[in-house]
Amino acid sequence: MASKSALSFHVKAECKVSKARVGLMKLPHYEVKTPVFMPVGTQGTMKGLLPDQLESLDCEIILGNTYHLGNRPGTDVLTKAGGLHKFMGWNRALLTDSGGFQMVSLLKLAEITEEGVKFRSPYDNSEIMLTPEKSIEIQNCIGADIIMQLDDVVQTTFQDYDRIKEATERTSRWLDRCLKAHKRPTEQNIFPIVQGLLNKELRTQSAKDHMSKDVNGFAIGGLSGGESKDDFWPMVSLSTGILDKNKPRYLMGVGVAIDLVICVALGVDMFDCVFPTRTARFGCALVSKGQLNLKQKQYEADLNPIDKDCECSTCKNYTRAYLHGIVTVETVACHLLSVHNIAYQMGLMKSMRSHIENGTFPEFVKNFVSEYYPDGNYPSWVVNSLSKVGINVVKN
Amino acid sequence: MRFTIKHANLGGERVGTLTGFMKSPNTVIETPTAALLTQGGSVTHLTSEVLSKVFTTPQLLWVPLSNSVQVEPGLKAQGQGMAKFSGLPEHIICVSQHNMSEVTPPGHFELEKVPLWTKNGKKMITAERYMDLMELYKPEIFLAIADGRTALNEGYKRVLKSLDRSCNMFDTCVRRYKASKLLQNSALVGVVVASGLSKKRDESLNHILKSKDSLSGVALAGLTDGTEEANKLASKQLENILQTMGEAIPNDLLRIVEGCWNPALIMVAIEHGWDLFDGAYATKLSNAGHALTLNLYTGSESRDLCILDLNDERYKEDFTPVLSGCECLTCKKHTRAYIRHLLNTREMLSSVLLSIHNLHHFDQLFRHARQHIAGNTFQVYKKHIIKQYEAFKQYEAANGIINNDSDKPFNGITQIKKKIKVSDDEIPTINVVNGS
Repeated sequence: MASKSALSFHVKAECKVSKARVGLMKLPHYEVKTPVFMPVGTQGTMKGLLPDQLESLDCEIILGNTYHLGNRPGTDVLTKAGGLHKFMGWNRALLTDSGGFQMVSLLKLAEITEEGVKFRSPYDNSEIMLTPEKSIEIQNCIGADIIMQLDDVVQTTFQDYDRIKEATERTSRWLDRCLKAHKRPTEQNIFPIVQGLLNKELRTQSAKDHMSKDVNGFAIGGLSGGESKDDFWPMVSLSTGILDKNKPRYLMGVGVAIDLVICVALGVDMFDCVFPTRTARFGCALVSKGQLNLKQKQYEADLNPIDKDCECSTCKNYTRAYLHGIVTVETVACHLLSVHNIAYQMGLMKSMRSHIENGTFPEFVKNFVSEYYPDGNYPSWVVNSLSKVGINVVKN
Repeated sequence: MRFTIKHANLGGERVGTLTGFMKSPNTVIETPTAALLTQGGSVTHLTSEVLSKVFTTPQLLWVPLSNSVQVEPGLKAQGQGMAKFSGLPEHIICVSQHNMSEVTPPGHFELEKVPLWTKNGKKMITAERYMDLMELYKPEIFLAIADGRTALNEGYKRVLKSLDRSCNMFDTCVRRYKASKLLQNSALVGVVVASGLSKKRDESLNHILKSKDSLSGVALAGLTDGTEEANKLASKQLENILQTMGEAIPNDLLRIVEGCWNPALIMVAIEHGWDLFDGAYATKLSNAGHALTLNLYTGSESRDLCILDLNDERYKEDFTPVLSGCECLTCKKHTRAYIRHLLNTREMLSSVLLSIHNLHHFDQLFRHARQHIAGNTFQVYKKHIIKQYEAFKQYEAANGIINNDSDKPFNGITQIKKKIKVSDDEIPTINVVNGS
């Protein structure tokens, strides 16, 4: 690794049973403790929360979306502002995606060729060509600590082997073009994205290809797109089994509590998901058993906080009854639930880190699972995935 | 609660204090001042955590019943009043029926009832029901129920009805107030209606003053029904009404003006001895994407207009604070370009950052006014502020900005709902459950 590397990763502790580990990832703007959950601030803001609030919530790294930021405010403004950190007033670490993910949902409008992805802007209907070079150019302007290669994204549940093979191999070719186009390697890290959808051979191939490149970390993509959980976890396990143990591994688009716990056990270090803040806007609060829909009438006179053990400012100051009265009506309710939901995610990651360090992670997982599924009906994927890493959660 | 006049000038303008609050004996609210407008019990767009970054001392909050009554079941179960229930226990609350600046449908009156337009639709309420709710809200100050949403050009018959109904309802309020143990620490404010007809207005005031022993203040209604037309009409006649009423109300009573009046009109009201405003103006600016940037220092000129429309593309690359020299969190940490981007992408943080600035700056407008009153230089200050506001209006007229948002009716809930539900980042992520 070059001496002026923009990332150093140090594994501090490993679970003796599972593949879980605790690490410290030093980035240009912040030192991030892993495993980490990264809230998604799509357009250069975290759903109504001030950067100060995110710091108090112990957020160490957040996401921005290249596709959106490239449209608005656009690279001119971001360059003049001195990058996204300065533009949004966030001094800690940032990660941007490549803009490629949006292709999945825009596929009707998009045409993917070896050169890149051509699509019509939903903003002004103009034709846009997103090439690997262009994606990196935009991400260089945004200036996030970690940036993503452009990958050829195929809907996870897609079945056509030839198309999946093409996408996987093209992703490797595009990685080379991204690395070549990268102008700020001492300030930003490109993470390759392991593709191959649900195909073992292709995914293995993809991970091995990426391993041969001079990169500081890896992302696992092409999952969490509607596939069954039984199909999902073996791909995560396969990927972490191949990828370099001394580099961080980022599983894209995963953020539901049970998924986080299991994928940490499978050896993943970084996660992102819009779920906690999106569900907040619909009036849902995250708790250890899942989520409370505060719109329901049963909460109208419930004077408990969302979670009596939660230390967030929402749980310290507000009752479920009050929140019931304002959810989906007042912006304040979104802010309050976003604060709680991010606090929940941060708290979950923190307790996993401390259990891994204390050597009690397997017990933590067992407790978590039994609380998450109070009726004892554990889904097969939970049992199988954990058993794969030596944690037996089947009741005697 | 006690209202004390600290300094009064010959012109009528005065500095006073509100003190003697049971829950926080050391709190002093200085007047003239604007309350902070709330929706659903929370200061619009600001959580208690964020509010504490704007104001470090207890503030006076304006709590309209119409936009908060949906929390009644919880409020009742908790039994400790609205301030505590809405997560703002240290703050002082003043409850009124409506947000005076919000447009509501006309009509819908019954003999002893007035309509309350809530998030769950129309609720007809009686004075008895209103007082039941006051006992739940436990406000430090509350306005008597009245039928006061009439424009200055309202039909004569309708105004007579409003006066008659308001007098009856007021009597019920006073009777209940005197008998209520729960409201012993609440101050009652009478509401003058029929403000467009001087004789009827006097009748309304005289009726209220019959119960002067129970009263802490008088509020002025019957000026507008919240519509743009009514507001414009009222703006023209307001000075005269404020002056005559200011003179007619006994000096020792707190004088309250409800409604979304601009800084120039606020200066006029202060000059005629009005003490308290409902704060709707600052909130309306924030909702429209506008920032208040009045130069509060007499003797200096400002390059910028006193209201900036940050939706404007001209701020796209303006990396300066909203108002240079402003001490608020927004101005210390963020730029016009960032707020413009947030408005352009319909992100909720735009409203938060603008609320922080506008509430802080609006508060400063009153702080400076009090200093000038105490220093007998209020006339200079008033002219200084009005000049800036007129320059802004001239600029708007010259640039053909007729449908300026700051003059549009207040549409709090609909607008906010839009912001919550339609965020632009969701355009490309339909059908994706766990997308990044």
